[in-house]
Amino acid sequence: MASGLEAYVNSTVSIITADGRNFVGTLKGFDQTINVILDESHERVFSTTSGIEQIVLGLHIIRGDNIAVIGQVDETIDTRLEFASIRGEPLGPVVH
Amino acid sequence: MLPLSLLKTAQSHPMLVELKNGETYNGHLVSCDTWMNINLRDVICTSKDGDRFWRMPECYIRGSTIKYLRIPDEVIDMVKEDAQVKSRNRAEMKPRGGVGGGGQNQRGRSGGRNTFANRGGGAGRASSQGNRPLAQGNKIK
Repeated sequence: MASGLEAYVNSTVSIITADGRNFVGTLKGFDQTINVILDESHERVFSTTSGIEQIVLGLHIIRGDNIAVIGQVDETIDTRLEFASIRGEPLGPVVH
Repeated sequence: MLPLSLLKTAQSHPMLVELKNGETYNGHLVSCDTWMNINLRDVICTSKDGDRFWRMPECYIRGSTIKYLRIPDEVIDMVKEDAQVKSRNRAEMKPRGGVGGGGQNQRGRSGGRNTFANRGGGAGRASSQGNRPLAQGNKIK
Protein backbone atom coordinates (compact mmCIF):
# COMPACT_ATOMS: atom_id res chain seq x y z
CA MET A 1 0.00 0.00 0.00
CA ALA A 2 1.39 3.31 -1.05
CA SER A 3 -0.20 5.40 1.66
CA GLY A 4 -2.34 4.79 4.71
CA LEU A 5 -4.35 7.85 3.72
CA GLU A 6 -6.03 5.93 0.89
CA ALA A 7 -8.12 4.14 3.53
CA TYR A 8 -9.53 7.48 4.75
CA VAL A 9 -10.76 8.74 1.36
CA ASN A 10 -14.47 9.67 1.44
CA SER A 11 -14.62 9.39 5.21
CA THR A 12 -14.65 12.15 7.82
CA VAL A 13 -11.20 13.18 8.98
CA SER A 14 -9.83 15.62 11.51
CA ILE A 15 -6.74 17.56 10.46
CA ILE A 16 -4.49 19.43 12.84
CA THR A 17 -2.42 21.99 11.00
CA ALA A 18 1.01 23.37 11.84
CA ASP A 19 -0.56 26.59 13.12
CA GLY A 20 -2.58 24.60 15.66
CA ARG A 21 -5.98 24.77 13.97
CA ASN A 22 -8.37 21.81 13.74
CA PHE A 23 -10.27 21.20 10.49
CA VAL A 24 -12.91 18.48 10.18
CA GLY A 25 -14.35 17.41 6.84
CA THR A 26 -14.60 14.69 4.20
CA LEU A 27 -11.27 13.66 2.69
CA LYS A 28 -11.82 13.69 -1.09
CA GLY A 29 -8.23 13.20 -2.19
CA PHE A 30 -4.53 13.68 -1.53
CA ASP A 31 -1.19 13.53 -3.34
CA GLN A 32 2.46 12.60 -2.72
CA THR A 33 3.14 15.75 -0.71
CA ILE A 34 0.01 15.20 1.45
CA ASN A 35 -1.79 18.15 -0.09
CA VAL A 36 -5.37 17.30 0.83
CA ILE A 37 -8.86 18.01 -0.50
CA LEU A 38 -11.28 18.53 2.38
CA ASP A 39 -14.96 18.84 1.44
CA GLU A 40 -17.77 20.23 3.62
CA SER A 41 -15.15 21.24 6.12
CA HIS A 42 -15.53 23.19 9.32
CA GLU A 43 -13.05 24.48 11.83
CA ARG A 44 -13.37 23.64 15.52
CA VAL A 45 -12.17 26.44 17.73
CA PHE A 46 -11.36 25.38 21.28
CA SER A 47 -11.66 27.73 24.22
CA THR A 48 -11.34 27.44 28.00
CA THR A 49 -14.15 29.92 28.65
CA SER A 50 -16.87 28.68 26.26
CA GLY A 51 -17.76 25.53 24.31
CA ILE A 52 -16.22 24.47 21.02
CA GLU A 53 -17.16 26.88 18.27
CA GLN A 54 -17.70 25.30 14.85
CA ILE A 55 -17.09 27.53 11.84
CA VAL A 56 -18.43 26.26 8.52
CA LEU A 57 -15.82 26.70 5.76
CA GLY A 58 -16.70 24.46 2.79
CA LEU A 59 -14.28 23.12 0.18
CA HIS A 60 -10.57 23.41 0.98
CA ILE A 61 -7.22 22.41 -0.43
CA ILE A 62 -4.80 22.22 2.49
CA ARG A 63 -1.13 22.24 1.57
CA GLY A 64 0.85 19.27 2.89
CA ASP A 65 3.58 21.48 4.42
CA ASN A 66 1.01 22.81 6.83
CA ILE A 67 -0.43 19.48 8.00
CA ALA A 68 0.69 17.94 11.29
CA VAL A 69 -1.85 15.16 11.92
CA ILE A 70 -4.68 13.50 9.96
CA GLY A 71 -7.04 11.23 11.89
CA GLN A 72 -10.16 9.33 10.90
CA VAL A 73 -13.26 10.46 12.79
CA ASP A 74 -15.68 7.90 14.23
CA GLU A 75 -18.91 9.58 13.16
CA THR A 76 -21.14 7.74 15.62
CA ILE A 77 -19.06 9.05 18.51
CA ASP A 78 -18.60 12.46 16.90
CA THR A 79 -22.33 13.10 16.46
CA ARG A 80 -22.89 12.19 20.12
CA LEU A 81 -20.51 14.91 21.33
CA GLU A 82 -21.97 18.02 22.93
CA PHE A 83 -19.61 20.64 21.59
CA ALA A 84 -21.23 23.46 23.56
CA SER A 85 -20.13 21.89 26.84
CA ILE A 86 -16.58 20.86 25.86
CA ARG A 87 -13.84 23.18 27.10
CA GLY A 88 -10.22 22.95 26.08
CA GLU A 89 -7.15 25.03 25.59
CA PRO A 90 -6.47 25.81 21.94
CA LEU A 91 -3.32 24.24 20.48
CA GLY A 92 -0.31 26.40 19.82
CA PRO A 93 1.58 26.37 16.54
CA VAL A 94 4.20 23.69 15.81
CA VAL A 95 7.63 24.76 17.08
CA HIS A 96 10.27 24.05 14.47
CA MET B 1 -9.06 12.98 -6.80
CA LEU B 2 -5.84 14.97 -6.75
CA PRO B 3 -5.68 18.37 -5.03
CA LEU B 4 -3.92 19.89 -8.02
CA SER B 5 -6.57 18.69 -10.50
CA LEU B 6 -9.20 20.30 -8.30
CA LEU B 7 -7.14 23.49 -8.31
CA LYS B 8 -6.85 23.36 -12.09
CA THR B 9 -10.62 22.90 -12.36
CA ALA B 10 -11.04 25.99 -10.18
CA GLN B 11 -9.46 28.22 -12.83
CA SER B 12 -11.51 31.42 -13.40
CA HIS B 13 -13.36 30.85 -10.10
CA PRO B 14 -13.01 33.11 -7.08
CA MET B 15 -10.96 31.79 -4.19
CA LEU B 16 -9.35 32.65 -0.90
CA VAL B 17 -5.70 31.81 -0.38
CA GLU B 18 -4.14 31.94 3.07
CA LEU B 19 -0.36 32.11 3.20
CA LYS B 20 1.84 30.65 5.90
CA ASN B 21 2.47 34.18 7.20
CA GLY B 22 -1.28 34.64 7.81
CA GLU B 23 -1.97 37.05 4.94
CA THR B 24 -5.00 36.18 2.84
CA TYR B 25 -5.51 36.85 -0.86
CA ASN B 26 -8.99 36.94 -2.39
CA GLY B 27 -9.16 36.83 -6.15
CA HIS B 28 -10.01 34.90 -9.30
CA LEU B 29 -7.62 32.09 -10.23
CA VAL B 30 -6.03 32.69 -13.62
CA SER B 31 -3.59 29.79 -13.74
CA CYS B 32 -1.66 27.34 -11.60
CA ASP B 33 1.14 24.83 -12.07
CA THR B 34 2.30 21.55 -10.56
CA TRP B 35 4.12 23.38 -7.73
CA MET B 36 0.86 25.11 -6.75
CA ASN B 37 2.30 28.46 -7.86
CA ILE B 38 -0.79 30.53 -8.70
CA ASN B 39 -1.77 33.60 -10.63
CA LEU B 40 -4.71 35.65 -9.28
CA ARG B 41 -6.69 38.53 -10.84
CA ASP B 42 -8.63 41.34 -9.10
CA VAL B 43 -7.04 40.65 -5.75
CA ILE B 44 -7.75 41.93 -2.29
CA CYS B 45 -4.93 41.22 0.14
CA THR B 46 -5.71 41.22 3.86
CA SER B 47 -3.05 41.53 6.54
CA LYS B 48 -2.60 38.83 9.18
CA ASP B 49 -4.74 40.63 11.79
CA GLY B 50 -7.38 41.49 9.18
CA ASP B 51 -7.15 45.24 9.78
CA ARG B 52 -5.40 46.35 6.59
CA PHE B 53 -6.39 45.75 3.00
CA TRP B 54 -4.73 46.22 -0.35
CA ARG B 55 -6.32 46.02 -3.79
CA MET B 56 -4.19 44.86 -6.67
CA PRO B 57 -5.09 44.04 -10.28
CA GLU B 58 -3.10 40.80 -10.23
CA CYS B 59 -0.55 38.85 -8.25
CA TYR B 60 1.59 35.73 -8.47
CA ILE B 61 1.98 33.52 -5.38
CA ARG B 62 4.71 30.96 -4.88
CA GLY B 63 3.12 27.60 -4.06
CA SER B 64 5.41 26.83 -1.15
CA THR B 65 4.16 29.89 0.78
CA ILE B 66 0.52 28.72 0.74
CA LYS B 67 -1.18 27.34 3.84
CA TYR B 68 -4.54 26.53 2.29
CA LEU B 69 -6.95 27.51 -0.49
CA ARG B 70 -10.68 27.93 -0.03
CA ILE B 71 -12.60 27.09 -3.21
CA PRO B 72 -16.30 27.41 -4.15
CA ASP B 73 -18.17 24.19 -3.27
CA GLU B 74 -19.47 23.58 -6.80
CA VAL B 75 -15.95 23.20 -8.23
CA ILE B 76 -15.59 19.68 -6.80
CA ASP B 77 -18.60 18.53 -8.84
CA MET B 78 -17.00 19.87 -12.00
CA VAL B 79 -13.96 17.65 -11.42
CA LYS B 80 -16.28 14.69 -10.96
CA GLU B 81 -17.88 15.43 -14.35
CA ASP B 82 -14.40 15.43 -15.84
CA ALA B 83 -13.58 12.09 -14.26
CA GLN B 84 -16.89 10.58 -15.36
CA VAL B 85 -16.33 11.62 -18.96
CA LYS B 86 -12.87 10.07 -18.78
CA SER B 87 -14.04 6.79 -17.28
CA ARG B 88 -16.82 6.64 -19.87
CA ASN B 89 -14.17 6.99 -22.56
CA ARG B 90 -12.15 4.25 -20.91
CA ALA B 91 -15.20 2.00 -20.75
CA GLU B 92 -15.73 2.54 -24.48
CA MET B 93 -12.07 1.82 -25.18
CA LYS B 94 -11.91 -1.46 -23.28
CA PRO B 95 -14.38 -3.61 -25.23
CA ARG B 96 -13.01 -2.24 -28.48
CA GLY B 97 -9.56 -3.44 -27.52
CA GLY B 98 -11.02 -6.80 -26.53
CA VAL B 99 -12.97 -7.29 -29.77
CA GLY B 100 -10.04 -6.20 -31.88
CA GLY B 101 -7.66 -8.44 -29.98
CA GLY B 102 -9.78 -11.54 -30.46
CA GLY B 103 -7.91 -14.23 -28.51
CA GLN B 104 -8.20 -14.53 -24.77
CA ASN B 105 -4.51 -13.98 -24.16
CA GLN B 106 -4.50 -10.78 -26.09
CA ARG B 107 -7.63 -9.57 -24.42
CA GLY B 108 -6.02 -10.19 -21.08
CA ARG B 109 -2.92 -8.33 -22.11
CA SER B 110 -4.78 -5.36 -23.51
CA GLY B 111 -6.87 -5.24 -20.35
CA GLY B 112 -3.72 -5.08 -18.33
CA ARG B 113 -2.34 -2.32 -20.45
CA ASN B 114 -5.53 -0.37 -20.03
CA THR B 115 -5.45 -0.65 -16.27
CA PHE B 116 -1.90 0.56 -16.29
CA ALA B 117 -2.82 3.48 -18.53
CA ASN B 118 -5.68 4.35 -16.24
CA ARG B 119 -3.38 4.42 -13.26
CA GLY B 120 -0.99 6.70 -15.07
CA GLY B 121 -3.88 8.90 -16.11
CA GLY B 122 -5.08 9.21 -12.55
CA ALA B 123 -1.73 10.05 -11.06
CA GLY B 124 -0.48 12.27 -13.83
CA ARG B 125 -3.61 14.25 -14.49
CA ALA B 126 -2.39 17.41 -12.89
CA SER B 127 1.05 17.37 -14.40
CA SER B 128 0.59 16.06 -17.91
CA GLN B 129 -1.86 16.36 -20.72
CA GLY B 130 -0.80 12.94 -21.98
CA ASN B 131 -4.17 11.26 -21.57
CA ARG B 132 -6.28 14.09 -22.92
CA PRO B 133 -7.81 13.90 -26.35
CA LEU B 134 -5.69 15.68 -28.93
CA ALA B 135 -8.24 18.37 -29.66
CA GLN B 136 -8.32 19.42 -26.04
CA GLY B 137 -4.55 19.45 -25.81
CA ASN B 138 -4.40 21.76 -28.77
CA LYS B 139 -6.92 24.10 -27.22
CA ILE B 140 -4.76 24.43 -24.14
CA LYS B 141 -1.69 25.26 -26.19
